[in-house]
Amino acid sequence: MLWVDKYRPKTLDQVIVHQEIAENLKKLVTEQDCPHLLFYGPSGSGKKTLIMALLRQIFGISAEKVKVENRTWKIDAGSRTIDLELTTLSSTNHVELSPSDAGFQDRYIVQEIIKEMAKNRPIDTKGRKGYKVLVLNEVDKLSREAQHSLRRTMEKYSASCRLILCCNSSSKVTEAIRSRCLNVRINAPKEDQIVKVLEFIGKKEGLQLPPGFAARIADKSNRSLRRAILSFETCRVQQYPFSSNQAIPPMDWEEYVSEICSDMMREQSPKRLFQVRGKLYELLINCIPPEIILKKLLSELLKKLDEELKHEVCHWAAYYEHRMRMGQKAIFHLEAFVAKFMSIYKGFLIETFG
Amino acid sequence: MQRDIRKWLMKAHDKGNDNASTNAEKKPPPTEPKSETPGRGGQEGSGRRKTSKYFSANKQKQKGDEEVEDLPAKRKAQNDGVQSVKAPPSKKVCKVDDDEEDDDFSVPKKKNDASPSKKLKSSSGRGIAKKSVDFNESDEDDVKNIESPLKSGGRGRGGRGVSGAPGGGRGRGGGRGGFMNFGERKDPPHKGEKEVPEGAPNCLAGLTFVISGTLDSLEREEAEDLIKRHGGRITGSVSKKTSYLLCDEDIEGRKSSKAKELGTPFLTEDGLFDKIRSSKNLKAQAREDPKVPVEKVTSLPKKSPQKADLKTHKDLAAGSQLAKQKNQAIQHSSLTWTEKYRPKVPNEMIGNQSLVTQLHNWLKNWNEQFHDAGNKGKGKKQNDSTAKKAVLLSGPPGIGKTTSAKLVSKMLGFQAIEVAYFLYKFVELSVNASDNRGKADAKIFKGISGSNANCIKELISNEALGFDMDRSKHLKTVLIMDEVDGMSAGDRGGVADLIASIKISKIPIICICNDRYSQKLKSLVNYCLLLSFRKPTKQQMSKRLIQVANAEGLKVNEIALEELAERVNGDMRMALNQLQYMSLSMSVINYDDVRQRLQESAKDEDISPFTAVDKLFGFSGGKLRMDERIGLSMSDPDLVPLLIQAFVSGSVPKLLFCSVLEYVKDAKLKAEGEADSVICQENYINYRPGSIGKDDNGMKRMRLIARAAESIADGDIINVQIRRYRQWQLSQAGSLSSCIIPAALLHGSRETLEQGERNFNRFGGWLGKNSTVGKNLRLLEDLHVHLLASRESNLGRETLRLDYITVLLKQLTDPLRMLPKDEAVEKVVEFMNVYSISQEDMDTIVELSKFQGHGNPLDGIPSTVKAALTRAYKDENKSRMVRAADLVALPGKKKALKKRVAAILEPTDDGLREENGDALAESEEENSSDTEDMEGTGNGEKLQSELQSLNSKGIQVEVELKSGKEKSKATGRGKGGSASTEKKPAGRGRGGSGSSEKPGAKRKR
Repeated sequence: MLWVDKYRPKTLDQVIVHQEIAENLKKLVTEQDCPHLLFYGPSGSGKKTLIMALLRQIFGISAEKVKVENRTWKIDAGSRTIDLELTTLSSTNHVELSPSDAGFQDRYIVQEIIKEMAKNRPIDTKGRKGYKVLVLNEVDKLSREAQHSLRRTMEKYSASCRLILCCNSSSKVTEAIRSRCLNVRINAPKEDQIVKVLEFIGKKEGLQLPPGFAARIADKSNRSLRRAILSFETCRVQQYPFSSNQAIPPMDWEEYVSEICSDMMREQSPKRLFQVRGKLYELLINCIPPEIILKKLLSELLKKLDEELKHEVCHWAAYYEHRMRMGQKAIFHLEAFVAKFMSIYKGFLIETFG
Repeated sequence: MQRDIRKWLMKAHDKGNDNASTNAEKKPPPTEPKSETPGRGGQEGSGRRKTSKYFSANKQKQKGDEEVEDLPAKRKAQNDGVQSVKAPPSKKVCKVDDDEEDDDFSVPKKKNDASPSKKLKSSSGRGIAKKSVDFNESDEDDVKNIESPLKSGGRGRGGRGVSGAPGGGRGRGGGRGGFMNFGERKDPPHKGEKEVPEGAPNCLAGLTFVISGTLDSLEREEAEDLIKRHGGRITGSVSKKTSYLLCDEDIEGRKSSKAKELGTPFLTEDGLFDKIRSSKNLKAQAREDPKVPVEKVTSLPKKSPQKADLKTHKDLAAGSQLAKQKNQAIQHSSLTWTEKYRPKVPNEMIGNQSLVTQLHNWLKNWNEQFHDAGNKGKGKKQNDSTAKKAVLLSGPPGIGKTTSAKLVSKMLGFQAIEVAYFLYKFVELSVNASDNRGKADAKIFKGISGSNANCIKELISNEALGFDMDRSKHLKTVLIMDEVDGMSAGDRGGVADLIASIKISKIPIICICNDRYSQKLKSLVNYCLLLSFRKPTKQQMSKRLIQVANAEGLKVNEIALEELAERVNGDMRMALNQLQYMSLSMSVINYDDVRQRLQESAKDEDISPFTAVDKLFGFSGGKLRMDERIGLSMSDPDLVPLLIQAFVSGSVPKLLFCSVLEYVKDAKLKAEGEADSVICQENYINYRPGSIGKDDNGMKRMRLIARAAESIADGDIINVQIRRYRQWQLSQAGSLSSCIIPAALLHGSRETLEQGERNFNRFGGWLGKNSTVGKNLRLLEDLHVHLLASRESNLGRETLRLDYITVLLKQLTDPLRMLPKDEAVEKVVEFMNVYSISQEDMDTIVELSKFQGHGNPLDGIPSTVKAALTRAYKDENKSRMVRAADLVALPGKKKALKKRVAAILEPTDDGLREENGDALAESEEENSSDTEDMEGTGNGEKLQSELQSLNSKGIQVEVELKSGKEKSKATGRGKGGSASTEKKPAGRGRGGSGSSEKPGAKRKR
């Protein structure tokens, strides 16, 4: 088993990183009724872990007995019926799902499926809480319509159902939903916290950690605990007795993005643009979300760019990212960004060096 | 009086030329070489230009000047030879026009000439009669041609080496716009730096040019335009008829070597300019001579018969026909021209002569073949099964199908009964074509006349009518069914009825349709002799059009008519209609008139998205009007943008093709709208904008590309609005931003970005890529579900891809590389079990970690290890805990389950399986994988073994579950059958044998 999963805290008591939040959550559910919750924070900070631990706190061990279900729902949408396939993860007391998987049809999921689930009270309520929990992932990716439909569900069925929403950025969740929830911000763990966790794992696994090694991993992890643990394990697989200057392997796709980036820096021509397009396609084909590509591309570019261009390039990246979300074919927008960058950078080079 | 002499001389020359045309090609009459020498001598002298535009003037001068340089003389000779061969037919036709034109336009033209070189583009008065083959003028041109090289000294042909600074490899010049431009034509070195001269509209008339290589300042397209505008002709390759090879440097290509072989003179761009410029002055001079035109007009009647004689046309009859027509024309009959000039004898048909002959023969033999046989026995026996009783003429409209059918039957003395679609009503057919499509009607008719009896049936079966008449009065009947493809889809019965009619018919039936491949006609085709008419060539058409124009007293030059013929896309009827229409408003028609007229009312033609993109981005893309552009981009609003974005090198990948099909289906659901932009997006990079002029460092181009890219992205956003929120009113804005703006920014010549790439608009890669993305996402989702089902992890799909996959891959492959075989396999299988990773999932992981240019993650793993892994994984299958629903193979299900049953199965009990069968199966598997190990083909081999074992397993599982009912069947299944009752909770994809197809498909990428 991977260490990430092996050493994932199962209960709120075991939590190392966000102990304070865990305490509060525990109090919240034991002392009184639980409100709707909205967890937000960067990826790898422990939202999911906290949610699972919370569920266990509420429902006991039965919350861990989950089953995966992949169902097709037939939804009657006016003139036509829509088939939606949705994977859910459910135990007797909770259901977890990612409505945004349905793309722009997510509102049907919210309107029909979630409502359906929320309506039904759990059958067996003796000795348990009189409600069940719906965990919705990636709420920030829900379309505006879907979020609007969600409001009503949250109000109407709050007696039988609690929603736990989970997302990366609360800014993409509408005000209306945010105000209906108790917002819980999960910060990315600090680097020393990551180091602490890594050392904890190292001890449990009986590994010899060279001094500074954990810190280096933490540094590379971009403050994502998951990333840190995963690359820690990768290092372990690669070479065991650790050497203190051991290379920490980057993610495959990140490597590729930085390749693209250096391509763009090296030459700005239609030909190069064409090649870059091919590489971007490659990334998309490998299921890397386009937003992530753009973000990573920008951060790679910023590393190498001259000061005076940084602001402008950031501006355009944001511009095209916004448009990408409005549009459908991500490659168009990625390419537009690349073309824009090339034109800016080329102009800059000509200006400075003639 | 000089003029008179000139006149006389000129005539003499004409005659001489005519004579020469017969014999001399390379050896022109001795006068000819002389004729150009004076030109050379006096070329710069404006005096010469002042004298006249006519040839004779030169002649006079030249008399003194006998010194002829060898080369020019030779060139000239050739030229004249060419001229003389080519000129006669056209000359006769056009001479009148030109002369008269001179008359008519002399005033305005002078004006034009008075302010020369003010405008670069021709204004209304000029550029007329672009290609008219006026003999006089062309002769004069020859003179000029000769003079120009000399005059320009260094610039001229000698100067070729000088001007060609960039030197060799300036593009190979062949096949312009061809598919396989390996090299790129470079930009002209002095692009846009020279002033393009304006000359007399016809100054290049009669000359044929071939352009080779890069010119000094003009893009090739510009040069073509220039030459055409001045009446010259452009051909693709050098032949004997070529007057000049236009090139600024000798690139030793095929064209130039051929030209040298043939002795075709070379002409530089400057030479061309000089020629054009000088023509103007001459032209201006010529205007002063009012007498000439008059005289020429008188010569007209004399000439027209001559023309008829000289024509190479098969039938001389046409000539006389024409004369008759001419007479009629004078009477201004109210007939439309299409009727008036409908061919009266089969020979007059334009093009498709062999088909007409075929039709003729068929009709002629019809009686012998069918009728006589039927006659004798009265039993309607058809003894010759190979011969068809009916004929099906097909072809685009307006090329004379109906006419030829009628003519042929008339010629053979048949009485043609034409049943065109509008006549169907009157004839009361049960064959319901176009306008009579109601089935109800048909039923009424049927009700009235009984199921089989209707007029047509009567007609064809009535021997009294058909046959007796034939006997007594020699009047035979033929039934012409026009527009049979007009029968609507609801009238399938109509075609069936028609076929039935053909079967019992006693008279020949000629069916006519436009689209022979129409679904409706599929059955009919079997009963008919198929004759597919082709569009006549534009030369054929223009020949006929000239006759018509002459007969109507219309002055049109050949170039204009050729243009007309080209514009109407082979539709003779339309050409005539257009011509008639134009004749209402003007009596002289020239090139620009035709162009203008037909631009307004161009014949709609189907444009493929590729052509559309080509047009949008092409050289003249900038001149298109907005509505035309929208029209182009809407030609297939889903596809053009796609193109603007991908056919990468060589053949179209199969996957792409499949996805296109898929996409087309998809598109039907989504209605149209984005393909345009995808094509657009794919290809826009390749265009080098023509509008930016000089661009040293590509900065401007890059900027334009960025703008175009943004505009295409805009199009995507609009597209979302259109589709998601049904804002269809935005569709024009969508096509504007996704196609037209990029096209407007970047139109120009296309260039290749990769070595060996075909210089041709690629098809949108997006379609293929998008479907691959979709597929991979599905695979990833499978993996995700499996991981979730393992209950070890609770991760999102995105995190799985971004963070986990690298580690998973390491865990799965690194041990295989580093540890000894057995240990490694054990470890990996254990890991897979913990996370419920099936072998498909492993493939997914590997697949998703592949990046172009990076190595395959499986490299370095010996194939034996891989095989061992497969085996080990399968062995484990028997005792594996199955967590994910789709890992359970359900009985009898061949396809993936729509609804996956949630289930957690406990480890299955092995007690069921028969030791015997299992052993067999295993040994089999081992055998197969071992043999493949020896082949040692790495990945593919593993795949194969997997597939094989999959197959067997699929069957096994199935057999196992069905075993209760159909055990007998199991043994019949071969290979897998031996292990009949082995219980395998298949660790595979989505169940049963269905999965065996999946891995294959998946790995195709």
